[in-house]
Amino acid sequence: MSYLVDIFLIAITAALINNFVLYYFVGICPFIGVSRQVDMAVGMGAAVTFVMAIAVFLSWAITYFVLMPGALVTTWVGQFFVSPERAAHIDLTILTYIVYIFAIASSVQLVEMYVRKFYPPLYKSFGVFLPLITTNCAILFACLTVMSHIIGVENPGQIWDLGRALTLGVFGGLGFTIAIVIMAGIREELDMCDIPEPLKGAAITLIIGGILAMAFMGFTGVDNGIRVALGG
Amino acid sequence: MTWVTISLSAGTMFIMAVVLSYILGWASKKFYVEEDPRVVAINAALPGANCGGCGYVGCGEYAEAVALNDEAVTKCTVGGESCAQAVAQIMGVEIGESLPWRPVVHCSAHYDDRLKRFKYIGDMTCMAANLVTNVQGCTYGCLGFGDCARACNFDALHVVDGLATVDYEKCVGCGACAKVCPRNIVSLTPFKSERMLAVTCSNKDKGKDVTAVCNVGCIGCGACARMSNLFKMEGNLSTIDYDAYTPECTLDALKACEKCKRSQIVFVGKPTEKDLEKTKDLTAPELVEPDFKTSVDDTEWRG
Repeated sequence: MSYLVDIFLIAITAALINNFVLYYFVGICPFIGVSRQVDMAVGMGAAVTFVMAIAVFLSWAITYFVLMPGALVTTWVGQFFVSPERAAHIDLTILTYIVYIFAIASSVQLVEMYVRKFYPPLYKSFGVFLPLITTNCAILFACLTVMSHIIGVENPGQIWDLGRALTLGVFGGLGFTIAIVIMAGIREELDMCDIPEPLKGAAITLIIGGILAMAFMGFTGVDNGIRVALGG
Repeated sequence: MTWVTISLSAGTMFIMAVVLSYILGWASKKFYVEEDPRVVAINAALPGANCGGCGYVGCGEYAEAVALNDEAVTKCTVGGESCAQAVAQIMGVEIGESLPWRPVVHCSAHYDDRLKRFKYIGDMTCMAANLVTNVQGCTYGCLGFGDCARACNFDALHVVDGLATVDYEKCVGCGACAKVCPRNIVSLTPFKSERMLAVTCSNKDKGKDVTAVCNVGCIGCGACARMSNLFKMEGNLSTIDYDAYTPECTLDALKACEKCKRSQIVFVGKPTEKDLEKTKDLTAPELVEPDFKTSVDDTEWRG
């Protein structure tokens, strides 16, 4: 399969077929919490996309060069302590979660400071969302997805490179934006509706989330179709 | 081997910690944004209710606007005069006379007074009811579903027998009710005294159309405008020119009140001691009530 087709499939899968929010049900808190108005939802989606791309880039680099068995840096450092053959098998996979949280939190901090200094209007529009994103599980999930395509892959040729990882990050964020904006649009209309008393508020929101998720299930299998159509 | 893994893990974390804290420390100096000390001081002086009464999103935005964009220091309705004084001191400016702004509901029709009411089974909010016709005959007046009462953070607005009624004892004048009213019948008015004259009707239709839909609405006879310069006719609706208003109501204005066929020009605001005396036997707390009886005088008005 050519590289471009692969990238295209990763993008479609991350944004629509296996939408983070509506397929894996990660990042539900901002999905419910910040979907009252469309413009707020767009701001949140943009911030998540932005941070997700940066976090995926960082975690790819750390995983690829340090954490995976036989990674460049670890092997080089390890051979000073043990024989080179054994150094190639040093496995730091246990560190993934803590390192990703670490990387996400510090990159969010850095981005916040940078944006505040150089793009004050941008900071005004999504500055308040940035600290919220620090512990957003959708972003950690994107990092872990990238990890699962680096660590434990049997064929070294199938290990994801930076391009694939970044595609997942950016389009995963776009998928989140699509989901939250659709949700916000529906919830704005919902204000006009006569909702039965027990369903008001969070209950109807969760029900709508479920129906939306079922609608997105309609994309299932599209990736296989595309793969066949493009001669993969 | 185990020890190598453990020490490499520890080493990785340590190096990451050093590198990232160095980068963040460098960035916090490099990207330091100087904050105006006045903004911080003003923020501390404001009440922090974040009600949005000043027209800004929250107290922080208003503080920024005052310090950087020369916004007026008297905009905070919750803090009132003392707050304005404090802010003015920080900014080094003098403040003139600052008036408390309070909402006035420009409608006085209770359920019985409204004609042509139909059964409404939609969502019980004014916003939704305002989208459909025929909820009631009057397309200007209060709908009585209480969007304003729900918007009020200070428990100062209640729907009494279908009419939004302001509790001026509790009201701080944040204007949330005026913003949320879909019919725009709640307006913020400068209260030059505890009790203000107000025209409690918003119907701009001709007298005949008004009487068809309301028992109490302003019919636009113009008697008040003829009696006193305080009143202006806008279309078929009497309005009060609050710039010309003085706390000591001129005799003309009081005469106009008496003259009003529909008792639409009334005092609103905190009740005086005399009123409290008068109503102490009554159980219903009616803060907004017409003070003047209708004096039928057919010789003046030929509607």
